[in-house]
Amino acid sequence: MSIFPYLAAAWLFLIGLYGVVTSRDYVYLIGCLTVIQSATYVLLLAVGYKLGAGAPIFADHPPGTPAVDPVVQALVLTDIVVGAAVTALLLSLALQLQKHRGTIDPDELKPTQD
Amino acid sequence: MPLAPLPVVVPLLAAVLLLVVERHVPLWFADLTAMLVALATAGIAAVLTYNASQEPILYWFGGWQPTHGAAIGISFVIDPAGAAVACFAALLFAGAFLFGWHYFDDARARYHILMLVFLAAMTGFCLTGDLFNLFVFFELMSVTAFAVTAYKLEASEIEGALNFTVMNTIGSFLILAGIALLYGRTGALNLAQIGRAIGASEGSALPAMAFVLLFTGLMIKAAVMPFHFWLADAHAVAPTPVCVIFSGIMVSVALFGAGRIYWTIFAPIHSTTAVFKSFLLHVGVATAVLGGCTCLMQRHIKRLLAFSTISHIGVMLAGLAVLTPGGTAGFLLYLAGHGLTKGALFMLAGILMSAHQDIDEIALRGKARDLPISGICFVLGGLLLAGLPFGLIDTGRGLIDKATEGVHAWIPYLLALGSALTGAAVLRTAGRVFLGLGPDPGEEEKSPTNSEHEKQRPSGLMLVPVIVFLVACLAAQPHVIEDFALKASAMFMNHDGYAALVLDGSVPQMATPPAAHSGPLIGWLAVAVAILVAGFQLAGDRLPRSIRRVADLAAFPFFKSLDLAHTGHIGDYAAWMTFGLVLFALAFVW
Repeated sequence: MSIFPYLAAAWLFLIGLYGVVTSRDYVYLIGCLTVIQSATYVLLLAVGYKLGAGAPIFADHPPGTPAVDPVVQALVLTDIVVGAAVTALLLSLALQLQKHRGTIDPDELKPTQD
Repeated sequence: MPLAPLPVVVPLLAAVLLLVVERHVPLWFADLTAMLVALATAGIAAVLTYNASQEPILYWFGGWQPTHGAAIGISFVIDPAGAAVACFAALLFAGAFLFGWHYFDDARARYHILMLVFLAAMTGFCLTGDLFNLFVFFELMSVTAFAVTAYKLEASEIEGALNFTVMNTIGSFLILAGIALLYGRTGALNLAQIGRAIGASEGSALPAMAFVLLFTGLMIKAAVMPFHFWLADAHAVAPTPVCVIFSGIMVSVALFGAGRIYWTIFAPIHSTTAVFKSFLLHVGVATAVLGGCTCLMQRHIKRLLAFSTISHIGVMLAGLAVLTPGGTAGFLLYLAGHGLTKGALFMLAGILMSAHQDIDEIALRGKARDLPISGICFVLGGLLLAGLPFGLIDTGRGLIDKATEGVHAWIPYLLALGSALTGAAVLRTAGRVFLGLGPDPGEEEKSPTNSEHEKQRPSGLMLVPVIVFLVACLAAQPHVIEDFALKASAMFMNHDGYAALVLDGSVPQMATPPAAHSGPLIGWLAVAVAILVAGFQLAGDRLPRSIRRVADLAAFPFFKSLDLAHTGHIGDYAAWMTFGLVLFALAFVW
């Protein structure tokens, strides 16, 4: 199994994190968060991949045909669902923030200090 | 009918039913239903705790039993520790529902529905025997928590909720990546099965990588330094009944999950054990002390209590990280004692907010003289946090102290210092708010925070859960609970016994390991420090100027740098998290 998918996952994680750290806009930041999440998709799919194996659908293949691991695909699906819920919630919060404070730039939004 | 799935099914079903009838029922019906459901869940969990303390319970959903040591189905593995934490969580929810009676009059039953889902996720998290299931329950817990934090949709709530959501979501992705690595190596998601298969990877880097990813995620959720920044923002702004749950159980349950994952999976791996025992123990001690110092600097009362939670999480992490039955039992008792005390203190802050429409310590100076019972409870809570040697917290602390003493003799003193500072902050607040002590603030009185308010409600009803919580914390019989906690932690820490139960169906022997308990001296010492520090902060202006100047010079740069670190900027939080992650990974290399 090639090491490249793992490197790609690490890279996606790092650039996503860099984006979160440097972001000047919450919507952009939420986008970066989904980039981090894609790192987990790549990682999960890489873990279950088998060279030369097909999709884990056995309707038109006899059982026993080599197939990639269906469990990780189920995990990715769950991950996508959770991610969609969180992204929707975050975007609606960003929208409310714009309404209340007139900006979604974290630099201008620093909560009042004690 | 098996009881095992009911602690999850009952609140989940109640939430669905409440959603159906939401439009047609008055608010008191939702309040009452939610509270009764939480109590019923606690009752079921209590029965499970009793049964599990005779013999751990194994339940396979849909009857999908493992064959040849490979588990396909999802199991609930109910040991006394898990069932007891689930029971405690449900009781805390019942208290929060009682406190929040008619709190949310504009949202009908939405709040109750979210909280019941929250409860179901939490009990599931405590009982499940499957790693991915654990993750999903935790996500469910987090998503409902995000939603209830931002519930009021006012500016400060939204910012707190955004930071909370972003940081915790990054934590979730780290946990998921760790799960992916473990699955890739062992081909299993069942905790017991992974634990058996991972032994073959001893010496490779993979268990270490998975451990770093999983534990960084969990430490973010447990708000251990330097991953703690989101907590103060979120806990300071969330509605008070929700804060009771957040500070009382949600962060500590993440540590419980960390313990579960360590003991079922990583216990036989030498490298992870060494890092847990050395690195995370010291992280816990640092969190306890720094959290205490930061707590002392706050004037927003809920924010102050939030930092105190961080400090006490450090104490709990230290207890867990010693990896002895005594330390783990201490962790479990401390979790319960701290949850009750902190829950009561947050409720008292809620009472202040409801009665005087403010939460700033300086602005409230002397205004709460009309609430004497709340004042007494507030002082009692502060003393308990500091280390007053009575009740649940003290029993837990005695066990943790004795266990950590074996690693370094000075650790109990540092932990006590952290708690003493949190106690001092609460006592100072009590002195200022309920007695009007301290210098007249003059210009400083203007609060930098936005004015905050909560609905005015009768304080009598709100005091009931406060008093129940404090009495429960004090009335616990040390011998009984200590024996139970030791027995529970022995099963919690039984790596081979857990695997044998789940995969072979053989019931492990339950035993009560012996454990020593350190004396009350250190607790009294901490109380004395707390009273002194609080007294200095309230009456420091009456001391000779030279003493004050020396104290300022000694402490100012330290406190200033702590203050500067808490910027409230999400990018900084993520940078600190990256720093922590790198440090954690370096702990393995070093």
